[in-house]
Amino acid sequence: MNPAWTIISAFVGALLVLLLPARMAGQSRVIALVASIVGALAAAASGLTRLNDVSAPVWSFDSPWIPSFGIRFHLAADGLALTLLMLTGLVAIAGVLFSWNVTKRPRAFFAYFLIIIGGVYGVFMSRDAFLLFVCYEIVILPKYMLIAIWGSTNREYGAMKLTMYSIGASALILLGLVVAYAASGGTSFDIAHLAATDYSTSLQTWAFPILFLGFAVLAGMWPFHTWAPTGHVAAPTAASMLLAGVVMKLGAFGALCVAMPIFPQGFAIWQPMIAGLAVIGIVYGAFTALQQKDLKFVIGYSSVSHMGFVMLGLAAATHWGLRGAVLQMISHGVIAGLLFGIAGRVVYERTHTRDLEELGKFDLWRSLPGAALAFTLATAASMGLPGFSGFVAEISVVIGVWETYPWLLPLVALGIIITGAFSLRAMYRAFFPVLKSAQGTNPSPPNLPPLTWPEISAMALLLIVSLSIGIYPKPWVTLIDDGLRSPLFQSILSQP
Amino acid sequence: MNYLHLFYQLLPEAVLVITALALLAIALTRESKTGKPITCGLASLIAALGVIGAGLALGFGPYCGPKCGLDSGTNLISTDAMALMFKGCVLGLGFLAVLVPPAKKEIANPGEFYALILFALTGLSLTVGSNHLLFMFVALELASLSLYLLAGFSRTARSAEACLKYFLFGAVSAAFMLFGLSFLYGFSQSDTLQGVAAAVAADPTSVIGIVGLLMVVVGLGFKMAAAPFHYWAPDVYQGAPITTVTLVAGASKIVGMVLLVRFLMIGFPEASGSAAWGGMKAGWSVWLAILAAVSMIFGNLLALAQNSVRRLLAYSAVANSGYLLVGLCAAGAASSASALFYVVVYGLATLGALAVTAAVERDQGNDSQASFAGLIHRSPLQAVCLLIFMTSLAGIPPLAGFAGKFILFGSAMSDSTSAGNPGLTWLVGLAVVMSAISFYYYLRVLKQAFVKGEEHEGGKQSEMSLGHVIAVVIPAAALVLLGLLPSVLLDPIKAAVFEVLGGR
Repeated sequence: MNPAWTIISAFVGALLVLLLPARMAGQSRVIALVASIVGALAAAASGLTRLNDVSAPVWSFDSPWIPSFGIRFHLAADGLALTLLMLTGLVAIAGVLFSWNVTKRPRAFFAYFLIIIGGVYGVFMSRDAFLLFVCYEIVILPKYMLIAIWGSTNREYGAMKLTMYSIGASALILLGLVVAYAASGGTSFDIAHLAATDYSTSLQTWAFPILFLGFAVLAGMWPFHTWAPTGHVAAPTAASMLLAGVVMKLGAFGALCVAMPIFPQGFAIWQPMIAGLAVIGIVYGAFTALQQKDLKFVIGYSSVSHMGFVMLGLAAATHWGLRGAVLQMISHGVIAGLLFGIAGRVVYERTHTRDLEELGKFDLWRSLPGAALAFTLATAASMGLPGFSGFVAEISVVIGVWETYPWLLPLVALGIIITGAFSLRAMYRAFFPVLKSAQGTNPSPPNLPPLTWPEISAMALLLIVSLSIGIYPKPWVTLIDDGLRSPLFQSILSQP
Repeated sequence: MNYLHLFYQLLPEAVLVITALALLAIALTRESKTGKPITCGLASLIAALGVIGAGLALGFGPYCGPKCGLDSGTNLISTDAMALMFKGCVLGLGFLAVLVPPAKKEIANPGEFYALILFALTGLSLTVGSNHLLFMFVALELASLSLYLLAGFSRTARSAEACLKYFLFGAVSAAFMLFGLSFLYGFSQSDTLQGVAAAVAADPTSVIGIVGLLMVVVGLGFKMAAAPFHYWAPDVYQGAPITTVTLVAGASKIVGMVLLVRFLMIGFPEASGSAAWGGMKAGWSVWLAILAAVSMIFGNLLALAQNSVRRLLAYSAVANSGYLLVGLCAAGAASSASALFYVVVYGLATLGALAVTAAVERDQGNDSQASFAGLIHRSPLQAVCLLIFMTSLAGIPPLAGFAGKFILFGSAMSDSTSAGNPGLTWLVGLAVVMSAISFYYYLRVLKQAFVKGEEHEGGKQSEMSLGHVIAVVIPAAALVLLGLLPSVLLDPIKAAVFEVLGGR
């Protein structure tokens, strides 16, 4: 199976769901699941093929699209893209499983869901800036609809805020891309062509921040992150998983594969600024998460903090840094998906609250031991304990930072410590309020419905992947390194 | 040249006029026989057939052009590639406009209403195919006078207000334009654009020529609803019968744009100046840049505050004039072609949005945003098409509005680039930011249609006549197709524009 099946499966799935007759609307989840599995299998199969022979030519599809403006339909899947495709496939499957109980307008729900997935796949494989931007923008409207129609807390506000941030960010990206297009002679939107052009330093100095900021907003870089927590909280579970799991990665991916290679000198000028903002994001996100009362807000701010690591890895611009950034994208995608799934679906559907104090009254470690176990493991992964994917990613980023900005490390360390603190606090308050009940009366735990098989399988899937990356990261690292060998990145890698 | 050849050149317009006269005759005889006026449906069917006939005449008619002694450059009636291309577009959008049914009670005598629409289309079609100053003006006035009447047709106070405002603003703009044309004639001793171009080439800084052009630009600015000449637009969009509005928003906008391209790029290519940041040179580029910036800012910011969807679309029309002018500012053939592509795409989207508004207005009694609530439950077809139109207007892929805007901004940038430095970044940046803001008000309408009004679920379905369905579905399908494969229309337009303007 070639990687194009990822995109095809998602869009065909969306179309099939929309064409379902009304009386079979309940079956749309099955179609969505099948489509997600096909996409994930296609990604995994291509990943394995690539892993067997990283020197083989990269799969690509290239055909003219709008020839009079030099726009091509150019897809390619190197190792870097493949790792992100696999992540997307994984989160897609888990998202469908966690949405198994959606009964309100299910056809529209799964259609929007699959369109987002298809757009994300498309961004990761695009090698033409126009195509990449198309896929990037396709995601925006379904995101709005998912949150505004199926969301919870303050959904219309959260949806509109997130959408306007995204659209504003896209405006910056569009501007940056047309600047690069015009300045490179107005002949091609191919990313490799745009990156190979030698722009004047003055142009790069002002054009780079425009393009980079457009992507960084979606990656949740401080201080442009405020859409993320409100959006994540307002979104239905599957949308939170997608947003935190893969959509935020689009921003990081764009920064890495579009903004930085096109304007490398501009990047070199703004590099310290980006590193500074990234570290502030790590620390700020962690401290804010420490103060939250709503479990989803805790996870939302932890995403800001974790995405700070991605941006920091990019800003380090060494091989270790970039590799760590991509690993962190994957690791955070899996873990955030898992945490949002547990908080938004498994727990909330049964307790109808996300308030940490209220959750404590449910004695979740006794009433829902499976969820408590999964959340504990996810928390451990999120804190970056060895053996989980978070550790591998963060240590790589830290090595990268050590090579470029060693004096930032104390702040990074502070961020890691606070991450531990807020993760443990949330876990303890929500799931293990043991001490409190031991001192006072000890009521029998409330009777909550047991875990269902879609929930268990989704949690298990994500946990297994996080653990496997943590224990044996070599295949992922091999694939990422394969992608980083591309000529695109040679102008930004300051050290080997 | 003989009269038969001349008739061949005018065959599409002749078909339109003959249909209009036939329609009037049928309406009169039926009314005198039955005592009741002809029905709206029948009148619109006849008109639609007439437009189709004109389209066929355009596509397959015995054109002879230069080979029968009609020089495409200097004659009254030009048969250049741009003329054929945009006559086709005008007729296409006119066909769709005819199919949008006006509110039944509003139109007392449909025979005259649709006959006037055909006359308006005749004028519009003649206007795009001329390089002759006076002929252009007369044809444009034929269209404008018909449109003024059409705006006042529904005999309500709002419609009368719309008609009067449209007429007064239009008359002033026509006066400006005619005055400007007389300057151009005096300056160049010629009544064709080619003659003007020769005179400009000989003396690019002549004050008379520049003043003449300035007045023409002001006149066309009124027609295109570019700020600050846009004050008629919201009232006309809100008060006029919806069929008229679709004509004003679609076909008439295209004609304004084509005229502007002809005047500036054929008549005054030497006097463009430059609107580049830091390298500004006096010329029409600078005027257009100012008009564009003002239109985008006014249009988008005022649209944010509208509750009536028709008024919202009017301000969006002002904003879109701004984007279009950005394309002309770069003064290049490629960017002009992109702007002309975008105006067609814009015309389709706004026409479709108005057609859906017509259905909602009929069902709910008014066009406030709240009356769109729950549209997805009342009519999934209308809602999905509205989604396509609004997101195309906002410039979201994979719809044609996105491709159009992206290509428009991209080519404006690359045509204004010198020595690797894009000069129009400031204007394109403004356009892009304003376009992002515009998403907010389009999305608010979609929010009503898709998110609100869940009490309509499982309720009564809204129904549309066959013609109305066609007027909604064809633009939607076209926008999807042109979004996925813009080259289908972009390449012919580009070829036509390059043939006439002599681009690369």
